[in-house]
Amino acid sequence: MTQTEPDMRPDALQKPFTPGAPSNDPELESYPETVSGPVPLELTDRRTAEFVEEWRNASYNCYSSGHKFCREVCPVMQVTRNESWTPTAFHANVVAMEKGELEIADIAEDYVNCTQCGACELRCPNTLFTGDFYKFRTRTVDVVKAVRALAVESGVHQPNWQTWNERTNDRTHEPVLGETEISQENVRNWAEGLDIPIGGDTVLFVDCEAAFYRTAVPRAVAQILQKAGYEFGLMGEQWCCGGPAAEMGYVDQAKRFARHNLDNWRSTGTKRLLVLDPHDYISFTEDYPKYFGAEFDIEVVLVVEVLADLLAQGKLTPTVPVDRTITYHDPCRLNKRKGIWEEPRQILRAIPGLTFHDVDRVTQWSYCSGGGGGLPVEKPELTAAISEKRLGHAAELGVDTLVSACPWSERPLSEAGDAKDIDVIDIHELFAESLGITVGGSRGTVGDKRCGGGGCGGGGCS
Amino acid sequence: MRRGWLFVTTLERPSTDLVDRVVERLRGVLRPDQILTSKTDRYNRARVPAPFPVHRWRERVPDLAVLPETTEEVAAVVSIANELRCPVVPRDGGTGLTDGAVPLHGGIVVDVKRMNRIHELDLENRTVTVGTGINMLKLNEQLAKHGLIYPDDPASYPCSLVGGRIGTSGWSLIGSRYGHTRDLVLSFDFVLPTGEILHVGDGAGGKISKSSSGYQLKHLFMGHQGTLGIATKATLKLYPKPEAELSPFWAFDDYDAAYRFTGALARAGVATFAGAVLFDEYKVAYLRRDDEAYIPQPADVRALTCAVLYGWEDEVRVGGKRLFRIAKEHGARYLGDEISEGDWAARHDRYATPLHGRTKAGQVVPMSWHCEDAAVNYTDVPAVTKAWHEIVADLRRKTDVFDDWGMFAYTSADTGVDYLTEIDVGIWEQRLDDAAWAMWVKAKRDIAAAALAHGGSISACHGSCREGEVDLVPRELGRGFDVMLGVKRMLDPNNIMNPGKYLLDLAYQGDVSAQLAELRGPS
Repeated sequence: MTQTEPDMRPDALQKPFTPGAPSNDPELESYPETVSGPVPLELTDRRTAEFVEEWRNASYNCYSSGHKFCREVCPVMQVTRNESWTPTAFHANVVAMEKGELEIADIAEDYVNCTQCGACELRCPNTLFTGDFYKFRTRTVDVVKAVRALAVESGVHQPNWQTWNERTNDRTHEPVLGETEISQENVRNWAEGLDIPIGGDTVLFVDCEAAFYRTAVPRAVAQILQKAGYEFGLMGEQWCCGGPAAEMGYVDQAKRFARHNLDNWRSTGTKRLLVLDPHDYISFTEDYPKYFGAEFDIEVVLVVEVLADLLAQGKLTPTVPVDRTITYHDPCRLNKRKGIWEEPRQILRAIPGLTFHDVDRVTQWSYCSGGGGGLPVEKPELTAAISEKRLGHAAELGVDTLVSACPWSERPLSEAGDAKDIDVIDIHELFAESLGITVGGSRGTVGDKRCGGGGCGGGGCS
Repeated sequence: MRRGWLFVTTLERPSTDLVDRVVERLRGVLRPDQILTSKTDRYNRARVPAPFPVHRWRERVPDLAVLPETTEEVAAVVSIANELRCPVVPRDGGTGLTDGAVPLHGGIVVDVKRMNRIHELDLENRTVTVGTGINMLKLNEQLAKHGLIYPDDPASYPCSLVGGRIGTSGWSLIGSRYGHTRDLVLSFDFVLPTGEILHVGDGAGGKISKSSSGYQLKHLFMGHQGTLGIATKATLKLYPKPEAELSPFWAFDDYDAAYRFTGALARAGVATFAGAVLFDEYKVAYLRRDDEAYIPQPADVRALTCAVLYGWEDEVRVGGKRLFRIAKEHGARYLGDEISEGDWAARHDRYATPLHGRTKAGQVVPMSWHCEDAAVNYTDVPAVTKAWHEIVADLRRKTDVFDDWGMFAYTSADTGVDYLTEIDVGIWEQRLDDAAWAMWVKAKRDIAAAALAHGGSISACHGSCREGEVDLVPRELGRGFDVMLGVKRMLDPNNIMNPGKYLLDLAYQGDVSAQLAELRGPS
């Protein structure tokens, strides 16, 4: 007996079949549908109705799975263990909104609890199953951004985000130094003495955190490029990329900033953008093309990829040994969001003197600094807890240094590193040191703990 | 028999006044961040992946949730609930396929996820003691450093928690080699519905794996779906992390041949044999049409068997040789190393299933995956398989809300005596209404009845307390169900612990012999 043998009245449903196949029994089309389905709810709020229309199916893909594989890799979930702040909840809320059970005012505050690292999307069975073949990816980060935008449009603000974005708007840069004044006047101060022209074919874009706080990073990048004979300039009038505003839901502001930057590149004839910060890299490769469509024809290049390339071509050869035992922190926006993990390791492996205890990129899906997605602005205690957890992983390896490639991660990681006596250094700073460059600049108020070896050469290193 | 007349979900919930008093009292034993009362906090603790009537979400929403961090805090919360007569629903991972963690009468959800510490790792005795809020994958990340593994391996391995495994008496995919949750959990701390704390295991509990002292109470406090209390801290058995994995897949022209071969593998008595899985013809047809990860096979491949072996490389190698010899005798076509390893990774490591199905005419629609299970003896697996497909075909005659995604049968034990038999049903939840939900509940009852009719048990791994199937539990357990009622009444005098589940409300209704007789039907 096989299963395909019907033993009662022949019926097309009594054997396996492929729905839609031309060879199917026509009877399959003849069964009447007896379920009328729920009456769709008319949502009275126009914005919510549009939002739900756009996102319901994306969220339903998660809701109907219910597997929650994302949960234990989510950096926020790992430190809070609160199911209301999980990727699954972020999708389920959208389904509940469609059913009229929840409103934006009910859910907005929960969506603060996300660094937009993308781990959940990678760990999602839906992505894992089909991602390799069809590049499908569960869209949790986009849902979080969309809910935050809906909240702002609906007048539901998170107090610290609101202030942060107002101040960013006033100064054209993020208020990364707190009360210390920052403005257009000092956005290029980090480059003092490096003799970098303004404008040109290729421009180096420096994010707010690096330009004002961790100035050793852009100084390292600029001097490495100069050493390799790579020509580049600085922006005529650089504003914040607008990415953080977009991440926190202030989309109009983000677009205004983007417009300014694009116009400014046009005015200096710029065709290529060098980006050292992973967050900017997301803005320029994902947000700007969405805002401007075909009008955005600027080539966007990630510095760490350029450097790996220059290294491979023999145009940069690190020769100064660096006596450190390190591990590498895969920045979420490179590893989890963009799949960039190989080039930083190529650079680190080329540096003489290093002892490198690497942790593979998949294990690092569940690592994060907590510094992204506006979390430190609204919930610094969660950022600190996430960084502390990350440093705990590093400490288990017995390293003295954690190397990152993302300026936004380095402040919270450095603070957590202080407690464990682990130094946090940027990959560009480290590479510059091995190329014999005296970097200068500042590694921030909590970095610079291990400068005795003459390596970091930072201005804040006295 | 009038069906389902007993199991009408009543909507009686704690009054607003009672909820206020509960919250007030909880503030005396928990920090503010451990008491959650917002709408999202409650809506996101109302459901699990079990089939869920989305259109009736509101009825399942609890009144508040708490996040205790110690056994004592759990006990304090439960004491208050018992004193004020407020329902308590334990929630661990919330990944179950029955609805143990779904509140039916509102109340307090006790969410144990913060109790995820490793309290003690005993390398000499090979045990670990953990908070029940820990996930097995996260635990194994820590154990791997010591070359050890806690081999409780459900489909929800990356997200379910040790406490939920205790509350459901979970089934493990590699249980034929390592045993299931009941075998792997040595003992645990448990908060009773009165708030008293019990330590339960074999005899004295602790790290004892076998005792003949006293009643064997451990099993009583496993698999109760949260109706008897809350496990808070557990001591687990550990094994050496396997050095080798072998996961061969074999193809067959038809189901019968694959079925005979699966039985032969399970009966072979190979010590490293951790399980076999039989894919029936509907399953292969489904994978072929809708599973993006399916590696295309010739059209004459209609059924599959896979086996998995774990252990040291030398023992897996010889065990594997024996299985391949059996394969040859059965005319099994080996799919090769690459497909075998890839497919096992897709089914096991990644565990997922496509989240779309099709209407009968072929339109692709978003569907959730629902798995109905039973424990069935080897000799009855084909008959149950046939009966279940007919039940789902009957659903499809009426509507495109349901799709038949085929069946798996998995070995439960190392001798091949019984199988976890599962049928996967796609449900187009966006289309669910009362009529479709009623069809589904009836189908579930029929699925359970078919398993019982063939000498099986309603569930090998999920539990059997959901609407529909639960009506058949008194029939399945016979006199044992009366004992359940007695135990429930004794341990939970005020019926506060997960009320409404498993027909246990009957425990508080005096003489229910007439109701039970009707539920059991003619013998």
